Amino acid sequence: MDAMIQLIHVSKWYDRRPALSDVMIEIEKGEFVLLMGPSGSGKSTILRMLIGEEQPDEGQLFVQGKNVTKLKRSEIPYLRRKVGSVFQDFRLLSKKSVFDNVALPLIVQGVSEKDIRRKVTEALRAVGVEHKRDQSPSSLSTGEQQRACIARAIVNGPVVLLADEPTGNLDPELTGEIIELFKLINARGTTVVVATHNHHVMHQVNCRVISLMQGVVLPERAMPERVGV
Amino acid sequence: MRRLFYLVREAWANMRTNRMTTIVAILTTAFTLTCVGIFLLLYVNLQHAAGWLQEDVKIMVYLEDRLSRDGRLQLELMLKSDHMVGSVLFISKEQALTEFRAQFPADSHLLEGLGENPLPASFVVTLAQNFRSPEAIKGWVDQVQTMGGVAKVDYNQQWISLLAELIGYIELVALGVGILLSAAAVTIIGNTIRLTLFTRREEIEILRSIGATGTFIRVPYFLEGAVLGACGSALSLGILKVGFELFRQQVQFVNRFSEMEGLISFFPLSACLALVLAGTALGFTGSVVSLLRIGEGRV
Repeated sequence: MDAMIQLIHVSKWYDRRPALSDVMIEIEKGEFVLLMGPSGSGKSTILRMLIGEEQPDEGQLFVQGKNVTKLKRSEIPYLRRKVGSVFQDFRLLSKKSVFDNVALPLIVQGVSEKDIRRKVTEALRAVGVEHKRDQSPSSLSTGEQQRACIARAIVNGPVVLLADEPTGNLDPELTGEIIELFKLINARGTTVVVATHNHHVMHQVNCRVISLMQGVVLPERAMPERVGV
Repeated sequence: MRRLFYLVREAWANMRTNRMTTIVAILTTAFTLTCVGIFLLLYVNLQHAAGWLQEDVKIMVYLEDRLSRDGRLQLELMLKSDHMVGSVLFISKEQALTEFRAQFPADSHLLEGLGENPLPASFVVTLAQNFRSPEAIKGWVDQVQTMGGVAKVDYNQQWISLLAELIGYIELVALGVGILLSAAAVTIIGNTIRLTLFTRREEIEILRSIGATGTFIRVPYFLEGAVLGACGSALSLGILKVGFELFRQQVQFVNRFSEMEGLISFFPLSACLALVLAGTALGFTGSVVSLLRIGEGRV
């Protein structure tokens, strides 16, 4: 199998306090992985490192074979175009319509008008908010806002989808719907990494679970069945 | 195409969102550029006036009384054949006396007591177009001064030198004020852009997270700075034009200065365009200064 994500002896300190200690993780192409752990365990730090928002103090990170720690500043935007990000607080622009929010990654890449229309419509349809395309994000329910956020993350066909506490603001029913959406995206071949502290999520999806505690990776538990590959 | 449209629309949205800040930035830029413009206008008009005065420079070559008629004709021929000379007019002793009496009728009795006409014969020389600079005039005068039969050469040298000196000072002041106020305009526009960046920091974060390059993020702010500069400079030209017309009207009313009216002029169209371009460049520089700290990817 090809490794999509590799963290090799990664360590990070904040004010001399270790956030990550000698982390070794390998995630294969097409895998669905849950990064579990309480607040402050280092989940978000790993996700931020994977999109070049932060650099490790020690060790190396690879995404699709590219050493993220060695990327030049000017190369980071191109990494982020291959890695879709979903956030707990959705980060949608309230002054733009849902369609324009989802179109943003394509506009940034200079995709043609015709392709933007097609791809955005497909992404909105895939997450089930196509009928809200012309509305402002603020008029959407929290579940719909998270769906719009996921549509924006997948609209340009990323190889990896990273989600940082994507269900943090959702009730259990909506959490289930969002996890189902991630499963669908994963089934299409996208590697999905979801960071969460919510144990209910673990019960909703049979997949590999990487547990973190105070910046240290705990031994993995064997799961009976994997989603995706 | 959509990318370009997006960038222009974002710049416009920035200005509309921070409408008050935008208006204040345009007004303060216009005010600072008006101050620069006043000095420029003064400088341009004084140069124009200096040129006009130099056009009118007449050099008086006074002749010695003992110079014979042949000697005078020979000197006249020499002057006329000089490539620096435009025209030569001979004024005899008698003509000089007549002119003096005509110009100063109250004082004409002063000369009568002297018996013989004390006024010398002279040549009134106007130099050719290309030789009317203060340096060229002085050089020519020094040369003629040494010629035989010439008693004295006179021209309003002091006045011309004073004007040239004054223009030099105004040029320096205009440059100093220009640099100082341009820096102020850059700072004002830079601060406006910084405020816009502050109000849109969340949007910038989102753009970064989806893979926007530093250039893509910066362009709307560059456009905004350039538009603010262009609007500010266009407005300052408007203020200057109104002020200039009011001044011209005042000049028309005062009889003593009525001749000045034809002398003063506003900037030509090309200079107006250059000023708007300069304002645009200042605005652009202001936004570049405030955007220097935006990295390509990492915060």
